[in-house]
Amino acid sequence: MKKIILIGSPNSGKSLLFNRLTGMHQRVANYPGITVDVASGRLASIPEVILVDFPGSYSLHAISGEEQVAVNFFSQALEDPDVVQVLCLIDVTRLEKSLYFTLQVIRECERHGKHAVVVANMMDVLERHKISMDLAGLSEEIQAPVLPVSARSGKGLDAVQEQIEQGLANSKEGVNPTIAEVPDAVLRGTAHKLAHKYGPKGDLLIKSQARLDSFFLHTALGGLVFFAIMYMMFQSIFTWAAPAMDAIEALIADIAAVVVPLIPNQIARDFVSDALFGGIGAFLVFVPQIFVLTFVIGILEDSGYMARAALICHKPLRLFGLTGKSFIPMLSGVACAIPGIYAARSIDSPKKRLLTYIAIPLMPCSARLPVYTLLIAAFIPSTTLFGGLVGAQGAAMFGVYFFGMMCGLIATSVLTRASKDHYEDLPFVLEMPPYRLPAWQPLIRNSWNRSKHFVTKAGKIIFTVTVVIWFLGYFPTMGDDLGGSWLGQMGHVVEPIFTPLGLDWRYGVAIMTSFLAREVFVGTLGTMFGIEGSDENVLPLAEQIQASGLSVASGVSLLVFFAIALMCVSTMAILSKESGSRTLALKMFAVYGTAAYLMAIAAYNLVSLF
Amino acid sequence: MFSSLWSLQAGTQGRISDFDTALAENYRIRLMELGFHPGEVITCLQTPAFGAPKVYRVANSIFSLDDDVARHIMISPVDPA
Repeated sequence: MKKIILIGSPNSGKSLLFNRLTGMHQRVANYPGITVDVASGRLASIPEVILVDFPGSYSLHAISGEEQVAVNFFSQALEDPDVVQVLCLIDVTRLEKSLYFTLQVIRECERHGKHAVVVANMMDVLERHKISMDLAGLSEEIQAPVLPVSARSGKGLDAVQEQIEQGLANSKEGVNPTIAEVPDAVLRGTAHKLAHKYGPKGDLLIKSQARLDSFFLHTALGGLVFFAIMYMMFQSIFTWAAPAMDAIEALIADIAAVVVPLIPNQIARDFVSDALFGGIGAFLVFVPQIFVLTFVIGILEDSGYMARAALICHKPLRLFGLTGKSFIPMLSGVACAIPGIYAARSIDSPKKRLLTYIAIPLMPCSARLPVYTLLIAAFIPSTTLFGGLVGAQGAAMFGVYFFGMMCGLIATSVLTRASKDHYEDLPFVLEMPPYRLPAWQPLIRNSWNRSKHFVTKAGKIIFTVTVVIWFLGYFPTMGDDLGGSWLGQMGHVVEPIFTPLGLDWRYGVAIMTSFLAREVFVGTLGTMFGIEGSDENVLPLAEQIQASGLSVASGVSLLVFFAIALMCVSTMAILSKESGSRTLALKMFAVYGTAAYLMAIAAYNLVSLF
Repeated sequence: MFSSLWSLQAGTQGRISDFDTALAENYRIRLMELGFHPGEVITCLQTPAFGAPKVYRVANSIFSLDDDVARHIMISPVDPA
């Protein structure tokens, strides 16, 4: 099947052109480097031809390992005999930046005998400002067709389609090399000269952009707006997604209530009720959060605000080896690590993205909240100070949240300093895209695609682990006695591991089951202590734990343990999918588990002194 | 008289004269690819507080650079027209 490559600089409107030509709905983002994956789709006008959308790039001269992968991928694609044409998109409002890359692309095409066509996007902006440019002259100079289009309005696309058809008909014709041997340094100079000679003159969008920037980047007002936007985003994950999450849980429970009684066999009934519906519910419940966060982040990216937010956060996060672009993923991680890991996609520096992945699981996610609530209710007295203004339990909750965040930042800081020379990195040179109104339809579609990605990629892993843990907890006691089950027996086996924390086998079992999701710790302990509905109301369970004689030192050690340890299975699944490395997820699990254990022992011994 | 791009105040211009030798070659090349050529006039548009990256205009593009990069770009005053 014949293929056409679409390539261009970040922010040149490539994704929008791809959508126009294929009728697909890849999301368009007004944020540099958003096209991370290679997308492909059939041309709407010629369905037997595939259009391949390559990641946006400023240059074919790679300065990081990840860029090199993209460059190599492009070179390999040019060797594919099915590739008949390369469409190189330029943003005419910022011609020089686009032209150098275009010349590099044309050179590579000449070397591989492929035809290159330059698509000059954003012509509508020039028209709006009543500015013209000599595209015919430019075309003659670079020896390639230059077609004016507006990807946003669709104007000029007919000519692109005609050119594609012509290219298909003439694909056997050879290419006349003109710059095949020209080095990068000369191409840079040529691009500079051509941009000055043929590029539009005058202020395009700059004045209005500068006015908005002076507001959004203002020391006081900009800071306030930033906090307001971040607060809204945080609310969106915590509060706006909650009704849909509750609805999914209720729907699964309702379906289970209808289906389960129809199953005659007790074991099959328990399996369907707890493992099947429990397993499906375990990952479906995250879908609303992923959808809402992807949508909100999409608005920030499309509007151009994301780049400003990254700028505002850059300086403080740089102290810990991170970048300003790490802030939103980490903030999302406070609600749930999974949307946070997805949000880290927009970090173009591989090193910073890796560090952000490392920090996210240490953010105090909402699944830790029931665990903290139980342990604080059990071990921290409800005394208040300053006329009730400050409560010991509230302070403890703040302390454990703060502790988790600091652990994340310290981890990235230590890793940055320890491995300074081990990673290639990108400098903080961030293009500030023009402010634009978001395109709503692609935003919704992208949020839907991201949710679907989670269900299809991570869902299988989460479901499998849920079934395995159910199996271990169910047999051989047939669900009657968790303590006597294989899981309970494993708890007895691992009890010596938890003895240094002053914990018995029941806590060992609860910690093991919390791998499904941290809050399962509370439900499992409730089962162990024979208390129904402990995940809804923790107080009776907290009283039971107190009555069992567990020490405050053990309670504090558990708090420390949960602040650091045990990424849940969902986090591990999505981390290995997004990072492309299962080893990374396993390493992080092992390192965080060990660190949590050692710090919990230290906390236990420290508190025991008092 | 040469100074670094980082020292440019908001609303003022400078002409890129050279890059500091401390700036890695890869970074230098990337900056030139983005339009930061010696001889090019740069306008500083914003200097956000607390040492945050500054905002610069080069040709018709706007970029934000942090001090780690901007300190290594040498500029000279722009001759009055």
